[in-house]
Amino acid sequence: MVDTPVAIEDLSKSYGTVRAVDHLSFSVEAGQVCGLLGPNGAGKTTALRMLVGLVRPTGGETRLFGQRVTAGARELRRVGTMIEHASFVPHLNGIDNLRLYWEAGGDRFADADVDRALAVAGLGDAIKRRVKTYSQGMRQRLGIARSLLGNPELLVYDEPTNGLDPQEMRAVRALIRRVADEGHTVLLSSHILSEVEQVCSHAVVMDRGRHVAAGTVAELVASGASAYVEVDDPSRATSVLAALSGVEAVVDEAPGLVVRLAGATRPELVAALVGAGIGVQTVTSRHALEEAFLGLVGEETERHIGEGA
Amino acid sequence: MMRLLRTELYKQLRLPRTWVALAVVVAIPIIITVALKVSPPDTGPGRGGGERGDGLFRLATQSGLLIPAAALRVMSEFFLVVIICMFAGDAVASEAGWGNLRFLLTRPISRARLLTTKLIVAAVYGLGATAMIVVAGLIAGVLAFGFHPVTLPIVGINESTGSLLGHLGLAVLLAAWGIAGVAAFAFMLSTMMDNSAGAIFGAVGFYIVTSILGAISSIGPMRYGFPTFYGGAWSQLFQGASFGGDMWRNLLVQIPYVLVFAGIGFWWFRRKDITS
Repeated sequence: MVDTPVAIEDLSKSYGTVRAVDHLSFSVEAGQVCGLLGPNGAGKTTALRMLVGLVRPTGGETRLFGQRVTAGARELRRVGTMIEHASFVPHLNGIDNLRLYWEAGGDRFADADVDRALAVAGLGDAIKRRVKTYSQGMRQRLGIARSLLGNPELLVYDEPTNGLDPQEMRAVRALIRRVADEGHTVLLSSHILSEVEQVCSHAVVMDRGRHVAAGTVAELVASGASAYVEVDDPSRATSVLAALSGVEAVVDEAPGLVVRLAGATRPELVAALVGAGIGVQTVTSRHALEEAFLGLVGEETERHIGEGA
Repeated sequence: MMRLLRTELYKQLRLPRTWVALAVVVAIPIIITVALKVSPPDTGPGRGGGERGDGLFRLATQSGLLIPAAALRVMSEFFLVVIICMFAGDAVASEAGWGNLRFLLTRPISRARLLTTKLIVAAVYGLGATAMIVVAGLIAGVLAFGFHPVTLPIVGINESTGSLLGHLGLAVLLAAWGIAGVAAFAFMLSTMMDNSAGAIFGAVGFYIVTSILGAISSIGPMRYGFPTFYGGAWSQLFQGASFGGDMWRNLLVQIPYVLVFAGIGFWWFRRKDITS
């Protein structure tokens, strides 16, 4: 039996009266590329820090490969991490940073499979330069190389494209996708929905420290299918669409309408509108995961307000 | 543990400020030697004087073997304190400041082991810096004033070269240990801060305050318990005294400070949430 790489059980963390993580539970199975999705301040980073033993939980526990995590736990040998932006000893060059990081764990650098890690990062001769001369994108790539030392089974990345320009973002995402394709289990936190959609097979949605939803990205997207329409008579279009079977809700989002679909298709929407004599200017699908995410987090917000009332 | 120790020693060695500090500890004894060679002190009768290390300076030109003692005396009153506090204050706070601590602690090493290693590294560099003052002073002193014993029957000093070398070795240990309590304070602050400058300046401030309070005799016997009070006691080794008295007190008074400050540092660091 293969131990589950990541198991988070009823995990909580409070800083004074602020509850950063609130009874969070989820797991990541071997081979999955799981996105931990949530708005800024949702508690993603805190959860990941607890997962690798940097922060002590107030309640609950985290397990890596079936073993409870404590600071410096032995199972960390099977994990590569990049928590927030990649940081290094600035006055040392890239390769020295990798060597010191690896040897600090008592391992021989010769056993770190460094050539493979460097090939993935693609830093070339820059690896011999001092890290303080690197761009943020180069640091992130060196961070990914560091996480790959020793060919770990699990990779934990926290907002890996934060602070990067679009070109660097694309390069880092491609890098993570390539690593995932090699068979690593990946847990990646992000507040960028398209990133999770592009890179991940599974996702866990968090908000205000709580678990909101989990499943495959396809399942989450299906739960939030919607269309955006712009018409010449929004108020009549709202009535027409709301009456249509397979439409869950119609939300005014000026200048258009967002139609939450529960079986209806976009051509059916257009046919109904044209049939009612309403001019249709635009029909597009909304960004699928974005819509799902907003729906899920919106429900959580409503529930939170309801509980507080 | 040895591999971790090697990585930490290397990391500290490659820090630019380590080289600046080591350059200072080599340069100052050489400057002192040149100054004494160019302008020797007046050793005539009636030249007592109460300035810091003045007795050692007046004797220094008698033999190159006394130059390192004079240099160590003057440096241990401030420069060496700053340098040792730098090594101790850098230990954890600099890693946190670089943001590297959170990566180091995702390796399978216990925090206690990492902290022990960093404490050893700080001690090695602190002791090394102290030894370098003596070695630099010894080389410069011997070149300038020769390698020979000191015989001054009027003041009761009769030291062979072997005895002087032995005293220099002992002085290195005693002078470095005399700063251990303050260094432990820097180390403790280092575990609590993300900025090594804060830890270093905090410890230097602690040194200055305890030194000032120690100089106020009206405070009474309480000042004998300050970690800085007996810091210069080792210099008596070069003025005819043998090991004992205040040198013992200096050894003993540091122990509770080191245990308490380092102990708090370990306790704090083992429980600390790494958020930097």
